[in-house]
Amino acid sequence: MNVEKIKAAHKLLAEFKYTPGKLDKGYANKSLYINVSENKIEAKPVTEMMKEKFTGGRGFGLWYLWNAVTPETKWNDPENEIIISPGPVGGITQYPGAGKSLVVSLSPLTGSVMDSNVGGHFGPLLKFSGWDALELQGKAEKDVVIFIDGNAGIIRIEEAPEEALDSHLLVEQLYEIYADTPEDKRNISVVSTGAAAEHILYGMLNFSLYDTRRKAVRLKQAGRGGIGTVLRDKKVKAIVVKFKGVKGNLNNPADFAALAKTGIKMHKEIHAGDDKQCQMRVRGTTYLVKIMNDYDLLPVCNFKYGSHPDGNKIAAPKWIENFNIGKADGCWYGCTLSCSKVICDYELKTGPYKGQKVVTDAPEYETIAGVGSNCGIFDPQFIIEANFYCDTYGVDTISFGTTTAFLMECYENGIINRQITGGLDLRFGNQDAAMELLHQMARGEGFGRIAGLGVRKCKELFVREYGAGAAFLNDIGMEVKGLEYAEYVSKESLVQQGGFGMANKGPQHDEAWLIFMDMVNNQLPTFENKAEALHYFPMFRTWLGLVGLCKLPWNDIVPENNAQTDEPAKIPEHVQNYVDIFNAVTGKNIDKKEMILQSERVYNFQKVFNIKMGFGTREHDKIPYRSVGPVTVEEYESRQDRYDSQLKELLGMETEGKSTEEKLKALREYREAQYEKLVDAVYERRGWTPNGIPKLETLQKLGIDLPEVVEVVQKSL
Amino acid sequence: MIKVNGRNFEWEKNLTVTKLLQKKNYTFPSIVVQINGKFIPQAQYETALINDGDDVKVIHLTSGG
Amino acid sequence: MKKLVTKEDSCTACGTCELVCSKTYFKEENREKACIRIETANGKSKITTCTQCGECIDLCPAEAIYRDKNGVVRIKKNLCAGCFACVGFCPEAAMFHHSDYIEPYKCIACGLCAKECPSGAISIEE
Ligand code: SF4
Repeated sequence: MNVEKIKAAHKLLAEFKYTPGKLDKGYANKSLYINVSENKIEAKPVTEMMKEKFTGGRGFGLWYLWNAVTPETKWNDPENEIIISPGPVGGITQYPGAGKSLVVSLSPLTGSVMDSNVGGHFGPLLKFSGWDALELQGKAEKDVVIFIDGNAGIIRIEEAPEEALDSHLLVEQLYEIYADTPEDKRNISVVSTGAAAEHILYGMLNFSLYDTRRKAVRLKQAGRGGIGTVLRDKKVKAIVVKFKGVKGNLNNPADFAALAKTGIKMHKEIHAGDDKQCQMRVRGTTYLVKIMNDYDLLPVCNFKYGSHPDGNKIAAPKWIENFNIGKADGCWYGCTLSCSKVICDYELKTGPYKGQKVVTDAPEYETIAGVGSNCGIFDPQFIIEANFYCDTYGVDTISFGTTTAFLMECYENGIINRQITGGLDLRFGNQDAAMELLHQMARGEGFGRIAGLGVRKCKELFVREYGAGAAFLNDIGMEVKGLEYAEYVSKESLVQQGGFGMANKGPQHDEAWLIFMDMVNNQLPTFENKAEALHYFPMFRTWLGLVGLCKLPWNDIVPENNAQTDEPAKIPEHVQNYVDIFNAVTGKNIDKKEMILQSERVYNFQKVFNIKMGFGTREHDKIPYRSVGPVTVEEYESRQDRYDSQLKELLGMETEGKSTEEKLKALREYREAQYEKLVDAVYERRGWTPNGIPKLETLQKLGIDLPEVVEVVQKSL
Repeated sequence: MIKVNGRNFEWEKNLTVTKLLQKKNYTFPSIVVQINGKFIPQAQYETALINDGDDVKVIHLTSGG
Repeated sequence: MKKLVTKEDSCTACGTCELVCSKTYFKEENREKACIRIETANGKSKITTCTQCGECIDLCPAEAIYRDKNGVVRIKKNLCAGCFACVGFCPEAAMFHHSDYIEPYKCIACGLCAKECPSGAISIEE
C-alpha cells in the first residue's frame, strides 16, 4: 500500500474550524451538518425541544431527516440524508454496551425511513469531538473522504480518488493516513462501505474500531436497509473521526458516582453469571444457533423449516474452534459482555483477495443463519468467507442471506433457471454459487446485480419478465415493506409474526423478539396479552436506540434472582439500571414509565414519517405466508403431527382422510385470520386507527403533536 | 396427561423434570420450572417426579434475540 | 515477583495500613481510598489486597494495565478509559474505585503499609 501516494492525491474541498467544547450531561448541544454537493460544513444547535421530544440517537436522526425530505424525495436524491447519532448515554464507559450509534436515512429497499443500530467507536468519538449528531446531505461530484479532528476542531472534505473501495483495505489506508503514530490508531474510527454498495440496494455501513492487541482494524455493521448504498450514492468513500483522550467522564455526567456504581454492579454480574448463562464472552451470539435449531426456529432453506440435522455443524463449538478469543472483545470500552469475536489468520479461498490472510470479525448469529442454514449451507468455512466478503464489499448479511435463500427456492421451483442466473446453479446448499453471487455484486455483474435488488424487486421482476406467478412468490418472498426478514422462523408464534410485520422499518427483530414468551411459555394467551407485549417490548427496545445502548446486555445476561421477580421477561433490574444511568448522565429524573413515553413519542413520530412518505398504513404491515405457516405440501408434511393436532384442537377439524391440500388451506385461513385479529388488537393498544394511523389524541397525549405531524395525520385519517 | 405451560402433554411413569425437558427438547439455559406452582431448583431436576395430572410450567426467560 | 503477602491470623484490624496507603496514594487518610482493606467478622480479620495475579491485564479494553519489571501489576492512567471492568472482574475484589477519581487504583507493593503494621501481618515478598 502506497499511503504517501494516496495521501498526495487528496484535494481539500472545504475546511471548517470550531472550538471543541465540553459535553454537558451527555449532550454536546450541537450537531454537525455537512453537505457534499455544496461543500458546506456548519454547526447547528440541538434545541431543548429536540431533547424533550426526541431524546437523542434515533430520535434526532428521524427529526433531521423529516426536515430534510418531502414525500417525493427518493433515496438517491441529494436531499436524502444519512444521520449518525450516538444518544445522550452513548460513550459512557462504565456500563456495558454503551457505544452504539443510530443511523437513519431513506432506504433504497423500502423507500421509507430506515434506522440501523451499530457498534464501533465512531459514535462516541463523534460526540467527544463535540457533536450529538452528524447530518450528511448532498452528493459529491467525485469521491470524497470527510475528516473530523475532534481535538484540533477541524473538519475537512477532501477529494480522495486513490483509496480502495473495499472496507478492509480502505479503512486500513485511512488509519495510516490519519494516525500520527501507530499508537494514535486507537483514536480513530471510520464509517465506510464497499464496492458492492455501488451495485446493490442493501449496501451496509461499517463502523470501525482499532484492535490494539491484534493490531488490526475491526468492523461493526449498520446492516439493515441499504444505508451503505446511500453513502456510496453520495460518493462519500468514508467519514473519519479522530479524538484522543477517551476517559470515563467525558459525557460530564450529572452523577458520576451513580454511573460507576451501576456499571460495576453490572460487570460483577457478568463476571459471575456469563459462564453459567449464555457464555457470550467466549461464544458471542453463536450460542443462539443450537437453541434456535432445537426449538425449530433456525431458518432452513428460505424459512421452510426451523431445524436441520446438520445444525450442529454451525453451532457454537465449531465457532469456538475458529475464534481467537480475547477477554476484551467489546465493541466499545467497558462492554464486558465482549461478544465481538475475532478470527485471526484466516486464509481467503475465493475472490479478489484469494490467498491473503486476514484478521476478520467473526460471524454473528444472524449471519450464520442467513448465509448458512437459510441457504441450506452448513459449512463454517463458507460462512466465515461470506461474512468477510459481505463486510468488505459492504453487503448486509441478513438481506444477502434471505434474498439468496429466496432465489434458491425460485431456482429449485423452476421460476428461474441457469439461463437466467447466467450459469449459476442456485440450488440450496450450493455454496460455490452463493459465493460467486456475492463476488458478482462487488463487480456489478451478472445475476449478482439482480440479486442485489432484494426480494421485493426480484419478485416484481420475475413476474414481469419471466411470467412467474405472483401469489407463490409473495408467499415465499420473505420481506415486509421491502426489507428482508431477519433470521428467525416465526411460524409458531403469532406474536412474533406481528413483531416482524408491524415493525416500523420492516421485519427486523430489534423491535420485539417474543417467541419464547408466546410459543413456548404460553404466557400471552389472549389478544390483549399479545398486544400489550407488542406495545411494551418494541417501545422498550426503541429506547435503547434513543440513548445509545446495545440490546444484548439487557437480556443476554440476567441477574441471579431475575426468575423470582414479578416480570422476569422484562429483566426488571436491568430496566432500573437503564433508568439510573440515564438519570446519572442527564441529571433528569425519569422513571420506568417516562422511559416508555420517551420511546412512544419517537415511535409514533416514525410511524407518521412512514405515512408522510406514502407508507405506514395497514396494507404495509402485511406479511408473507411463509412467516405465518406452511406454504407447501412438503412443508406441511414435514411437521404434519403438529399441524394436524392444531387443526383438531383449534378448529375441531377431523384430519383423518383429508388431503394435505385441504388441511393446508384450513390452517392458512385460520392463521391469516389470527394475524388480522392481532393487528387490530395491537393498533388499538398503540392508540392507532384500524388502518394503523396514530390517532390525534394519541399524539396529543404523548406530546408529539407538532403541527407538521398533525398535518400528515389529518390528511390520512 | 399433564399440562406443560398450559398445553396437554402425554404423561408416563417415572417422569422427572430432566426427562420432561429432554422429551420437549427444552435446551435453553435459562429456564424456571414449577410443578403445581412450586418452584423446583435445578439441583432437583433429576429427582423431582411429575405425577399424572400435574400442572408444569417451564418458563424460558428471554425476550431476546 | 514482588507482592504484598498477608497473614490474617496476626492482623489485629487496627487499620494502620489502610490509612498509610490512602495517605501515600491520595494524600488523605481515608480507608475508602486505600488499596488494602481490612474487614472483621467473628473476631477474625480479612485482608483484601492485590495478589498481582494479573487477571485484569488482558481484560482491560484500553491495554492500560501491565506487569512491570518487578512483576507488579500497574495501571497507566493516561490510557485508562475508566470503564471499571477490572473492578468488577478482579478475583480478589482488590481493584478499587472511588467516585472522586475516574480511574481505579490498586496495590503496587510499595511496602509502606508493611513497614507501619504493628503486628507483622503484612510484608513484602520479592
Ligand atoms: S454486547 Fe456485544 S454488541 Fe453489545 S456492546 Fe457489547 S460487544 Fe458490542
